[in-house]
Order: sequence, then C-alpha cells, then structure tokens
Amino acid sequence: MKEPTADDIKTLIENFEGSQWKELSLQVGDFRIFLSRDPNCIVPGWLKESQPAGQHGGAPRGETGASQVTRSVGQPLQETVAAPAAAATEADIPAGAVAVRAPNLGIFYRAPKPGAPPYVAAGDQVEPDTEVCLIEVMKLFTPVTAGVRGEVVNICIEDGEMVEHGQALFHIKPKA
Amino acid sequence: MGISRLFIANRGEIAVRIIRAAKSLGIESVIGVSSADTGSLGARIADRCVVLGPPDAARSYLSEKLIVQAAVATGCDAIHPGYGFLSERPALALLCEEHDIAFVGPRPGTIEALGDKLSARKIAEAAGVPLVPGTTALASVEEACAAAATIGYPVVIKATAGGGGRGMFLADDAATLRKLFNKAAEEARNAFGNGSLYIERFVRSARHVEVQVFGDGEGKVIHFGERDCSVQRRYQKLIEEAPCTILPAEIRKQLHAAALKLTADLHYRNAGTVEFLYDIDRREFYFIEVNARIQVEHPVSELTSRRDIVAMQLLLAGGNPLALEQHDIVLHGHGLECRINAEDPANDFHPCPGRISRWDMPDGDFIRVDTFCERDTVVPPYYDSMIAKLIVYGNDRGEALERMMSALGRLRIDGIKTNIALQRFLVGHPDFAANAITTGWLERTGLPAYLSKHNSTRE
Repeated sequence: MKEPTADDIKTLIENFEGSQWKELSLQVGDFRIFLSRDPNCIVPGWLKESQPAGQHGGAPRGETGASQVTRSVGQPLQETVAAPAAAATEADIPAGAVAVRAPNLGIFYRAPKPGAPPYVAAGDQVEPDTEVCLIEVMKLFTPVTAGVRGEVVNICIEDGEMVEHGQALFHIKPKA
Repeated sequence: MGISRLFIANRGEIAVRIIRAAKSLGIESVIGVSSADTGSLGARIADRCVVLGPPDAARSYLSEKLIVQAAVATGCDAIHPGYGFLSERPALALLCEEHDIAFVGPRPGTIEALGDKLSARKIAEAAGVPLVPGTTALASVEEACAAAATIGYPVVIKATAGGGGRGMFLADDAATLRKLFNKAAEEARNAFGNGSLYIERFVRSARHVEVQVFGDGEGKVIHFGERDCSVQRRYQKLIEEAPCTILPAEIRKQLHAAALKLTADLHYRNAGTVEFLYDIDRREFYFIEVNARIQVEHPVSELTSRRDIVAMQLLLAGGNPLALEQHDIVLHGHGLECRINAEDPANDFHPCPGRISRWDMPDGDFIRVDTFCERDTVVPPYYDSMIAKLIVYGNDRGEALERMMSALGRLRIDGIKTNIALQRFLVGHPDFAANAITTGWLERTGLPAYLSKHNSTRE
C-alpha cells in the first residue's frame, strides 16, 4: 500500500473533526498518526520513542487547529526561554492592535465545549465583555473576556494548548 | 523506575537546590514561577520555565491547582514542593495522587495528621515521646496548684481557646499561681469567650534541637543526627548547626530514638524533621512538632553525613527503595549555617528588596553557598527575605566557627541592606563561641548588644 498523501491526511483530520470520536490512532505501513481532542490524553508509546524531525518541543500542530497531540512524558522539552512567553510575542502584535492576555497558566479553549463553534473567529467584532475563550485549570473553566471593543485580528494560540500567565491569546484592533 | 521529568513548585534558593539535584540524577526539570521570578536563576537553569500567574503568591505559588495543571501540561511525573508555600498542604499531595504524579514528600494523610497540633501531640504521646508536662482544662485554682506541684515551677497559664501568646501568664510559685489564675480566667473569657485554662511547665533555658529523618514509607526510618537552631528571633531561625554539642551522649541517643519511633509508627515517607525543645537545666527534651518537608537548614546535616538528602528525596519518590541503613550514616565534624537575609536589623529587620549591585561570595574549601542571587539580581518584594545560606564545615565546632568568621568577612553584598554584619557579630560573640545560649538569647542578649554597638559606631 502506498504512503498517504497530504490530501489523505487532511481528509482524515477533517473526518475526525466532523466525528464524535475522542481519539484516533491509525497505522498504514510505516505511517502512523494519532489524533486526540483531549489535551491531557495518554500518548501512545510509539509517539514517545520516535520524534518526527523538526518537531522539537510542544505539540505538533494540526493544520486546522482542532486536533492536537499533547506534550507528554518522554517528549523533548522546549528550550528554556529566559523571557516569559508574553514578552516573546510582544513584537508580533500588529500595529494598532492590543493583546488579550492569559490571566494565569492553564489550557486554552476557543469553544465552550468540544465540537462547538468557537467563541470568536478572526474578523469578529467584540465588546469588552464578550467572552473570547476559556482557560482551564484542573477542570475549572474560567471565561476570559475581550476587555476592549474592536475587531479580532489574530488568534495566537491553538485550541487545547497550554498558555502561561501573561501570554497573548488574541490580538484585537480597538474601535471607538 | 525513577522520575523522568520533575516539576519544581517553589522559588528562591531551594528551587535552585532541587534543580541541581535533579540534574545530578539526569532528571529533566520544569519550574513554575510567578511573573516576578521569570528572570530568576531557577528559571534560567531549569530545562523549562512556565509562568503560573502574577507575583501574588495566592495566584501562583500557593495555588495547588495551577501547579498540578502546569505539571500535567508539561508532562512532569513528579512535583517537589520545596519548603514553605504548598509543601505542607495535604491538598497538593492529594491532587498529585489523583493525577498520578509522584509527590516528593510524605503521604497526604501523614501531612494532615502532623499539621494539626493536637493530632501531632497525640501521635507523639502514643509513640512514648515526651511532651512538655502539662494539664488538660482545669476546673479550679486548687486543681491548678495541685497539678503545678507535680509538674514543677515555673509554670505558664494558658487559655484552652487561646493562641499566639495571648492570655498567657507565668507563675514562679504557688502564691503567684493563685493570684494570677482568676485574672487569667477573666482575661480568657473576655478575649476568647471561654475562661477555660490549663497549665504547662515553663522551660526557662531551652535549646531548639531537631532530628533529620528519612523514611521509606513502609516503616523503615533512618536519621542524620540532630541540628541545633537556637539562635532565633520571633521563631525565625538565623543560625543552624549540626550536631548540638551540648547534648549529653545519652540524651542524644534518646532524642534520635524518639524521632525514629514517632516517624516509624507513621510509616513516614521521604525527608522530615522532628523538632524538640531541650530543657538545659533539667536535661530533658519535649516534642514540638514534625516538619513534613525538606527544611532550610538541611545542608548542615548533608555536610556532616556527606549525603545528598534532596537527591535521596527524588530517588525515593521515583520508586527506588531506600538503600541506606542507619549504619551507613556516619556523622563527622561540624556543619554551620548562617542565613543571609535582605533585611535591616538596625531597623527592626525591615525587609530590603532591590537590585544587588555587588555580590562577592567567599570562595574556598569547606564553604557552600546555597542561593538564587548574583550580581544584578533583583530581590522581589513579594516573598521572604532570605537570599542566601552560607554554610561551612569544620572538623569540630571551633574550626567551623573560624571558617564561618573568615567566610562572613569575605562576603560582600551591596545595593540592598542585609544582616551580614549581625551574623558576623553573633558568630563572633563569646556566648555563641562558648555555646552558652538559649532560644531567648538572641532577643534578650545578642540583638541588644549588636544594636548598641551598631549605634555607637555610627555616632
């Protein structure tokens, strides 16, 4: 059997997203893929042993952002960043935009529940009290509000990723 | 077997100490810090640093949920709580168990049982470990006098509902006890809404002596000898040493045995310290409490035993059996530690956070400095004021004192106020050299002497 093409993988991820499945593990010849909606999922042993090249640190990011594989024991750590994550992204803020920052460390969720449409998308208009995401700490989900009136121009974090205190989550272009 | 990635839920020098121990064992380290500590030494030497929350400890270092969430999300399989912060909160140990993360410390039930003063006293009593002789609630002044005759004067009258030194009266004899008893009851009623009193023997000349223990969690406990931490101000230790050289050999044996019995009964797991009050005049010791964690002053025991207690903690928490037997712990020489704090002794020990402009540490054999500071470090104002521990080893107490004096003389910190001059004064004081001090010595003698010298040299 031949290796799956990029289109095959894309279709697979789309099908997974459209499904009710929590996890998908697939092996075709030497090709293996693991998808999960749960950022705290148990990663299969083979993923721990073999690291795909160029994926040092952090979760491999799905194209669509809906499916993640979490960091787990055995995966290499990100290089220590002396400056906090918040500072590193400071330069990336588009001109005239402000950042909505994480109030504390936690898991970032764009939607109120798995499979539901996200709170906001790029281009959406928000009010200061518009809920834009959830931050989870030990099953406690705290909504984060935009804090400013304007247009969402950028979503900085993939759904289900860990964010640190002060990290930019969204970029918003304020409007009067 | 073993921890592969450790989460450090602490800051300051102990975070650095734990990361170094992890590195020595090939364990990856992830430190969780507040936004005030992102540039700290611990954050830089850890393999990874994550920012938990703002400087406010309640929203960072004191949130067990944030800590465990961070540990899970970064793929850690163990958490070391250090000392202070969450180290003795059963909630963190419990949350670790629920998430299959090894807690580097005792079981949550042990922490809970020892954390409650009454329950800890019951545990000590059941183990046959002596407590300060005293009574339960007394019905009358007659009952109090009868009890005091057995206990021996002086006694201290305390309110059963009291605490923190309030409503306490000292009685040197029966006449004073009679006179004070009703007054104390009256005051207790007014202050606590409950006039119930009890009495306890008052130890006039006491030393703070504590035993470092290490248990495998299955009933085997070994000790690393005792430490003397009698130089204290408001229950804050300033100088610690090992061993306590004034202890008669027979008492020392009993002290170690008492600490082992108490902790073995609990099937104590990991490192801990059993604290005692030693009555110098009566040559008796009484149980105070158990610190169910690693302590600030653990290095003096490491020097005299030549064992890395923090590495032992990580090995045990990683599932390795405790390979050492008591006879493997061979104590030799003398360890001495001075806490270097960013505070001004001349100004009621007011904390002095700020940027360190000069940081000259004494270099040499038999000197160890545990710290998170260096030149240009900013000591944040949010946390405790300890910035370094200067630790020396000598073949005996005299040699350790000499080395400490020499080391303190070469220690130079500018940019912030510190207690270095006070430490030099204390270590050089004849009472300290003669080891003729008590837990009240610093506040009654050492400090007033230092302040009068300090004020006169300034004029």
